[in-house]
Amino acid sequence: MSGSESQERKQAEAGADWESLAHSAAHAKLGGADESEMLRELLVFLLNGTRYAISVDRVREIVRLRAITPMPHVPEEILGVIPLRGAVVQVVDLRLRLELESTAATRRTRIIILHGDDGRITGILVDAVQEVVRVPEDEIRPAAAGDGEAVAEIFLRGEDFVSILDLDRVMEFHVVQ
Amino acid sequence: MAARHKRKNQQSKAHREFISESEETLEGMRGGLADLMDQRVDPARDGEIDPDLINTIFRAAHSLKGLAGMFGLDSLGRLAHHLEDVLDGLRLGRNSPNSPAIDLLDEAVRLFASLLPQVGSDDFEENSVSPVDDLIARIEVALEDAVNVPDELAGLDLDPSLLRALTEYEEHRLRENLRRGRHLSLVDTTFEILSFEEGLAEISAAIKEVGEVVSTLPSPGEVPESQIRFSLLAATKISAEELAARLEFSHTSVRSISAPAAVEEAHPSEPDSASSRASEPPEAGLQAGSEPPEAGAASEMDSLRSISATVRVDIKKLDDLMNMVGELSIQRASILDIVQRLSREPSTARIGGELGRVHKLLDRKLNELQSGVLEVRMVPLRQVFEKLSRVVRRLQRDLGKDVAIDFSGSDTELDKLIVEQLVDPLMHVVRNAFDHAIETAEERRNVGKPERGEIFITASQRGNHVVIEVRDDGRGIDFDLVRRVAAERGLVPADAQMTEKETLDLLFEPGFSTRGSISSTSGRGVGMDVVRTNLVAMGGMVEISTTAGLGSCVTLTLPITLAIIQALIVGVENQRFAIPLNSVLETLSVDPGSIQTSEGRELLNLRGEALPLRRLSDEFRLTDTGAARDRQFVVVLGLGDRRTGLLVDTLEGQKDTVIKAIQGPIEQVRGIAGATEDGENGAILVIDVASILDDAARRRDAA
Repeated sequence: MSGSESQERKQAEAGADWESLAHSAAHAKLGGADESEMLRELLVFLLNGTRYAISVDRVREIVRLRAITPMPHVPEEILGVIPLRGAVVQVVDLRLRLELESTAATRRTRIIILHGDDGRITGILVDAVQEVVRVPEDEIRPAAAGDGEAVAEIFLRGEDFVSILDLDRVMEFHVVQ
Repeated sequence: MAARHKRKNQQSKAHREFISESEETLEGMRGGLADLMDQRVDPARDGEIDPDLINTIFRAAHSLKGLAGMFGLDSLGRLAHHLEDVLDGLRLGRNSPNSPAIDLLDEAVRLFASLLPQVGSDDFEENSVSPVDDLIARIEVALEDAVNVPDELAGLDLDPSLLRALTEYEEHRLRENLRRGRHLSLVDTTFEILSFEEGLAEISAAIKEVGEVVSTLPSPGEVPESQIRFSLLAATKISAEELAARLEFSHTSVRSISAPAAVEEAHPSEPDSASSRASEPPEAGLQAGSEPPEAGAASEMDSLRSISATVRVDIKKLDDLMNMVGELSIQRASILDIVQRLSREPSTARIGGELGRVHKLLDRKLNELQSGVLEVRMVPLRQVFEKLSRVVRRLQRDLGKDVAIDFSGSDTELDKLIVEQLVDPLMHVVRNAFDHAIETAEERRNVGKPERGEIFITASQRGNHVVIEVRDDGRGIDFDLVRRVAAERGLVPADAQMTEKETLDLLFEPGFSTRGSISSTSGRGVGMDVVRTNLVAMGGMVEISTTAGLGSCVTLTLPITLAIIQALIVGVENQRFAIPLNSVLETLSVDPGSIQTSEGRELLNLRGEALPLRRLSDEFRLTDTGAARDRQFVVVLGLGDRRTGLLVDTLEGQKDTVIKAIQGPIEQVRGIAGATEDGENGAILVIDVASILDDAARRRDAA
């Protein structure tokens, strides 16, 4: 092979390399998973000793417990409002909402700030936030009938089952004025 | 998954916006082009097209281009760009009105309109490319037969500095007028700075009656401090002398520039000003201008000069600014707190004093900043009124009713945010009036009313509120019909006895509509309840009054600004609340013994009048800590002519607050207008005064 030809070939190879590098970089940024192997990213938290999870793309941020100002004329699951960098956000007591027993707040109590499709934000009070997991779709099962309306699916993590909450159901409040 | 869904929604919403804005612009263009075609063949005009008309159509094309660019619609943008080119050529005399390029304008507009409905479809760009490119190619061919205009500005008796100040467009107009043998004059006039706009408008209008104002330039020269001088370059069919005779304005002189001539005085209204004007030397720089203007004399082609010197600002930026000012205010309050603490200790008192002086200045500057930002947010209602005019015109077309709409108070200013949120409710009220209230021509004739219905919209500022009334001269509200429909819908029991006010209130119930069928314009029953909700969310209220057979009136009351408002902080049962100060008439300290009870309700004798009282703790069903209080406070609330006293435990002072809407699953909480941040203490709920007054009135009527 002549010098110029090998040069050209090298350049072509380099070009191809660059292309594949760009591809994989983009792919990695987008979450990397191959289409056939769908992964769901979930935030796992603790409520009354039980683990629950919600889809990560609904989570805006997680803040520490702070003074909650109560509001009149709202269901008791709405604890009140907190200020959040220029906005004022209602906080839902998820325990009450899921009809679990109430427990006292601890250092680990957190408020998860969620955002809905319509841009509205809400906070939910949880006992502790644990981790973010990526669960393959085929490991997620529909929940049994007895698990209540708010739990749509479950998956196994280690030894326990984690209940994935249907947030739209959870946030549906029927208010009688 | 959710993110992609959101993006798709935003796309179609954006496209819908584009379509609606473009439609309006296209309509205007069509009308303008029709006029242009008429003028083209009008013998009286001799082929001359009104320059204002060309400008209007040009601006419309420019808007379309900008819109298409904003929404990423490439082919439409290119089409609009070529429209601009053709119109620009026409403006500057490069193309004659009879050029084939002008004919293509109409075709282009029609192509645009036909492509518009498909915007947003997946293969829009692919499908639109070839028809657009074809038309563009034909336009480019047509544009090639441009006309080269010889220079005729030589020989004008005009100061070269003035000539240099003209834009390319104005130069073209000068030449055009010269070519048509018009008289060119320089009208020199002086006004008071405070009122020059009106004066300028008057004199321009007077000149336009007999010709054209090619350019208006502020003029240097000796004038008293309170005045400003202008030079208007006028092209008229009549001579300068005749023009001078027509312009009966003081401090005005007219000089012909198409041929050197003597100065002519205009006839002023005050004789003394005439003599003082006559003694002043003629226009500086009077020369036989033989040198041609410099090539490219004017600043670069400033084709948008007719648009006023404003800046479009995203409302979100104004909101952010407002928030920042609010936060600065909170910090300022903290500084004051520190000043007070320092001043208390003798060892730090001096420093406290120094800091205190700095704080005072800071406070003043912050207030100015706040006022400034607030002012930026204020816009006149005129824009809303113009939109309403268009809506009514469309309704007239669609429904075939003849209705006139009149406005007054279009100068009344409101916070931009409120104006934005006002448009939809107002539109709905107007549609209602049009559709339901105003009778058909026949019905009106039968009752002796003029066939043409009328809707009056008036806006006025009353203290810290703006009141907008939508009045119609239609059939008025039929109370029996309302009661019947309400009973049918199960909103009230069939035999309920209701006062007129209660009946009118039914109109605000969700799902209420007295129309049997849903017309395309209204009657879908999503009406007045949404209007009320929107108004209340803004801290305002809406009321209806009516007279059978004569008409109805919907009154919207709004606070002037939603941004930073002053609030009174009160304490009730260990919780604090904020009450917008603009609805507080006064505060009183009361001895519980002075509260009277009558028919289960509490009243206070306020200077001889009975003021109904309402306990905030009852209003919000707060737990009564049972603490005995020997002194309580009454906050007298007032909105319109309603009054109620709110009973609270403590008064904690005033605070500049920025009311935020409360976000969360519960959308509307009765009695609460929003909340404001309280630094580390969390949030303070802001009371919705209108609903409290509403409830009080309702309770009163129920008695």
